[in-house]
Amino acid sequence: MDALEGLLYGFSLALTLKNLAFVFAGVLLGTLVGVLPGIGPAAAISLLLPSTFHADPISSMIMLCGLYYGTMYGGSTTSILANIPGEAASIVTCFDGYQMARQGRAGPALGIAAFGSFFAGTIAVVGLMLLAPTLASVALKFGSPEYFSLMVMSMTLVTYLSQGSILKALMMAALGLILSTIGLDPVTSSLRFTYDVLVLRDGLGIVPAVMGLFGVSEVLLNVGAIMNREILQSKIKNLFPNRKDWKDSSMPIVRGSLLGFILGIIPGLGTIIPTFLSYGLEKRLSKHPEKFGTGAIEGVAAPESCNNAAATANFVPMLSLGIPANPIMAILLGALTIYGLQPGPLLITEHSDLFWGVIASMYVANVMLLILNLPLIPLWVQILKVPYAILYPLILLFCLIGSYSLNNNVGDVIIMCVFGAAGFLMRKFQYEPAPLVLALVLGPMMEDNLRQALLISGGSIATFFTRPLSAAFLLVSVASLLLPLLKMRPTARFRQQEE
Amino acid sequence: MLKADRWIGFLFALFSLYVCVESVRLGLGTYQQPGAGFVPFCAGVILGVLSLALIFSARFRRTNNAERWHNPERILMVFLAMLGFTLLLEWLGFILTAFLLIGLLLKVVERRGWGFSVGVALVVAGASYVVFDVWLSAQLPAGILGS
Repeated sequence: MDALEGLLYGFSLALTLKNLAFVFAGVLLGTLVGVLPGIGPAAAISLLLPSTFHADPISSMIMLCGLYYGTMYGGSTTSILANIPGEAASIVTCFDGYQMARQGRAGPALGIAAFGSFFAGTIAVVGLMLLAPTLASVALKFGSPEYFSLMVMSMTLVTYLSQGSILKALMMAALGLILSTIGLDPVTSSLRFTYDVLVLRDGLGIVPAVMGLFGVSEVLLNVGAIMNREILQSKIKNLFPNRKDWKDSSMPIVRGSLLGFILGIIPGLGTIIPTFLSYGLEKRLSKHPEKFGTGAIEGVAAPESCNNAAATANFVPMLSLGIPANPIMAILLGALTIYGLQPGPLLITEHSDLFWGVIASMYVANVMLLILNLPLIPLWVQILKVPYAILYPLILLFCLIGSYSLNNNVGDVIIMCVFGAAGFLMRKFQYEPAPLVLALVLGPMMEDNLRQALLISGGSIATFFTRPLSAAFLLVSVASLLLPLLKMRPTARFRQQEE
Repeated sequence: MLKADRWIGFLFALFSLYVCVESVRLGLGTYQQPGAGFVPFCAGVILGVLSLALIFSARFRRTNNAERWHNPERILMVFLAMLGFTLLLEWLGFILTAFLLIGLLLKVVERRGWGFSVGVALVVAGASYVVFDVWLSAQLPAGILGS
């Protein structure tokens, strides 16, 4: 099926009344989640996941994907109006967005964020549509050694690009690998680390673990912090940027979109780091770098476009290789497995309806978000005024319901609570949860491929180094482990900027 | 933070030792046919080495930013409320447990008035039951209300 044919087929699926309703529900909920600080896309998707078990996989994926990029749109609203990032990828938008709002230019800031996101989202979907099938056909030639090495590379890249100590990030990856081995060993059928606990027999649930690490821990952190939320009260007007705004923003939007898409493809990079890079790039290219941080519209346009493009690009490794680029993709990958689909390079050919349906729904979602977002801003402002004291009991309750309804089992709720407490302590002591989650998801696949590769090669570890592609992946892994020793880490600079 | 890092490194080192011992018990197998304990053993060794490196690096780093804990009692109460919800869910049923959770968080943790706390708890418990159980067929436990 060529791209045009596939896309037309996808639109025939995405434009049914039922799927339009699913896209609408996804983007609306996503925007709400993006607007609300204290609940991110990972927790929200985990929360919604059990409710999709009754729907068909295409509609469910359409809704969950819509929710993901809805959060990218929504996150900017809180950054601009309250100086609090609604979700992590909108941190950079606070720098200039809030300053613009203080100068009475909240309207153009929100407007350019929405238009930039629309442009970036659309461009990135075109890229995803063209790249993913090509990458999948290349990946079909991969053997177990290549897969194993690719996953090692993803994990080391995540640790390399983590914002804290690389040592701690590596520790979390190793811990995630250990935790991923809990349950029944598929080869020998022996139980590992289950201690007669029934819920552990099928392995540690990814969804309750992610809900705990990202949802519950976030709530616990916010409960402990003194939340000082100041929302600008003035009426928001002139959502349409003027001619000068467009002139200043058009190139940053294009550059942000391209940068976001390219970086978003790399497993492990997620959406946060590209936005910092995009902001830094614009500041460097600007004729007035001193204006950045004081309300420069380029400082909103570029990172907002960048995070949307990166969010869509994150789907490339997930849909074509079955490798998640970030924890959110890890949950979506888990969702595919729950729906009975096998993630990997065959997914696009064997389930072309799912792939093209989701791609077409992304175009629809982008249009919907643009139409919905700007008129609904007054509503989001009202929601933002709800005190966190009322909001967090609701978030907690939803997390508890979500984890229980996965299998109607209290065991999953306990797992979520344990990971919630662990996630809280991890963040307090600056251990990042992302490498742990990725290792937890990739662990079983890594183990499977490692054992297969060793079995086929007759126990020769050289098989990972003698096959060119596998060796190249491992070389990147080694480089990403060695570069921090030479103090060559891009995230070190972002940390300084964030501070 | 450095002192905490030393302790955390020590605990992780102990944990990795335990994982390695358990993995040997599960069976490491051979390179040709790795056993059930092979991967956890390798991961345990990696974690052990990294933990020792953390302890070592914490000894030689100079900066010491003391970690501040704000409102620890609030955090503990919220966590205990969640645990209570988990333990009581199947016995009391969803509606009662959700009502207790929301009411407790608003009244005890947030120090809101009785009327407000009970009112919000009633609305949230009822509405979430309708949305999740009735509309989304989440099959939440009925508990003592169902019998």
